[in-house]
Amino acid sequence: MGMTLDFSILLRFTDALAMGLWTTIKLTLLCVVLGTSLGFVIGLLRSNGNAFIRGALGLYVELFRGTPVLIQLFWIFFCLPLILGVEFSNFVSATIALTLYMGAITSETFRASLRSVGREQMDACVALGLPRSAQILNVILPQAVLRAVPTLLSNAVSLFKESALVSAVGMADLMFIGQNISNNTARPVEVLTVVAVIYFIIAFPLTRAVTVVEQKLLRKFSV
Amino acid sequence: MDYQLDLGAVTRNMGPLIEGLWVTLQLTLAANVIGVIAGFGLALLTTSKLAILRWPSMLFVEFFRCTPAIVQIVWFFYCVPMIFNVFWGPVFMGIIALGLNLTAFNAEAYRASIQAVPREHLDAGIALGLSPAQRILNIVLPQALRNSVPVLLTNGIGIFQQSALVAIVGVADLMYQGKTLATATYRPIETFTIVALIYLAISYPVGQFVNWLERRQSYA
Repeated sequence: MGMTLDFSILLRFTDALAMGLWTTIKLTLLCVVLGTSLGFVIGLLRSNGNAFIRGALGLYVELFRGTPVLIQLFWIFFCLPLILGVEFSNFVSATIALTLYMGAITSETFRASLRSVGREQMDACVALGLPRSAQILNVILPQAVLRAVPTLLSNAVSLFKESALVSAVGMADLMFIGQNISNNTARPVEVLTVVAVIYFIIAFPLTRAVTVVEQKLLRKFSV
Repeated sequence: MDYQLDLGAVTRNMGPLIEGLWVTLQLTLAANVIGVIAGFGLALLTTSKLAILRWPSMLFVEFFRCTPAIVQIVWFFYCVPMIFNVFWGPVFMGIIALGLNLTAFNAEAYRASIQAVPREHLDAGIALGLSPAQRILNIVLPQALRNSVPVLLTNGIGIFQQSALVAIVGVADLMYQGKTLATATYRPIETFTIVALIYLAISYPVGQFVNWLERRQSYA
């Protein structure tokens, strides 16, 4: 191999990379919070709502789970402004797209955890004469939400990774800034490797945390 | 909205989209062939007793699982030709990049199934005088493969969706053709909607099949 690696060129760009990383983190956190809340509501409605609501929400979930996130981003960035007749900033468009995606995947997580609460618990509620609101708020939801936590954490890590796609629609996240530096310095090996390592350093401990939560926390609450 | 829908702009230009879909399907199928075979080999390495085999293979798996696929693809397309001084066609590059990613995810799926093979089965294999290779091929592989099928299919359809990323590095897949068409016709709504529906039309039935398979396996 006839090339020499020089990672020191990256020292000139630490500020730019830090800025990109901050955008990535901000976007991820915002969409995790908004998307998980959306997913919670949709998960509940899909488990209990009437047939029309269930059908419409099912269509939404399948649409976002069954198509590439890249095309969802393109759609929100280029088609939504045409339909609504309003221009959004890059950050707002990216937030809408990733929130809708996160809402779809977390709604499935909540739905599965709601289903996992056994039928006999409902029967016990009826036997104890608990009102419907207490059945849901005090018996079903706490267990379902607790069981959903490990999967929700992996959903959040997935979103962190998927957020790199916003670089393709021109938003200055970590990946976008990395690609710019790589093109300007003609040093893709050093720059892109460092960008990959930065993503890894954040995502890897989080995936470990998912395993720890799964094993320790859930055993503690024995759900 | 002032925008007049004109689906004709897309239906008159289905040729490039079909060509793109064909590239997407090639990428998906070839990456799955790599992922299903190499994933099993990698899973064996990650469950090896030898640390020198286990650690590098686990690092490989974690690296692919913990970095964005778009970073992997861009890295692969820019860095592999520079580092190894090789120049492959874009579709072949895409197949290898997606195949490596899928290998890592499938290895995780196989690992769980390999660890679920009962210890007694392997002991029985030893008692019958089977060689280690025979034990892997005739005892571990059939059970691990059978138990992994739903996850392998889910991962396989995941790579079908992720394959859209190669459009960013200029591979003429469905997403790329869609982007080009949307720009050429000034019809982003029609084009991107139809492209999205094509992706959905393929991944949805496979997803439903996986659900059915999982239900059936949970009864078995």
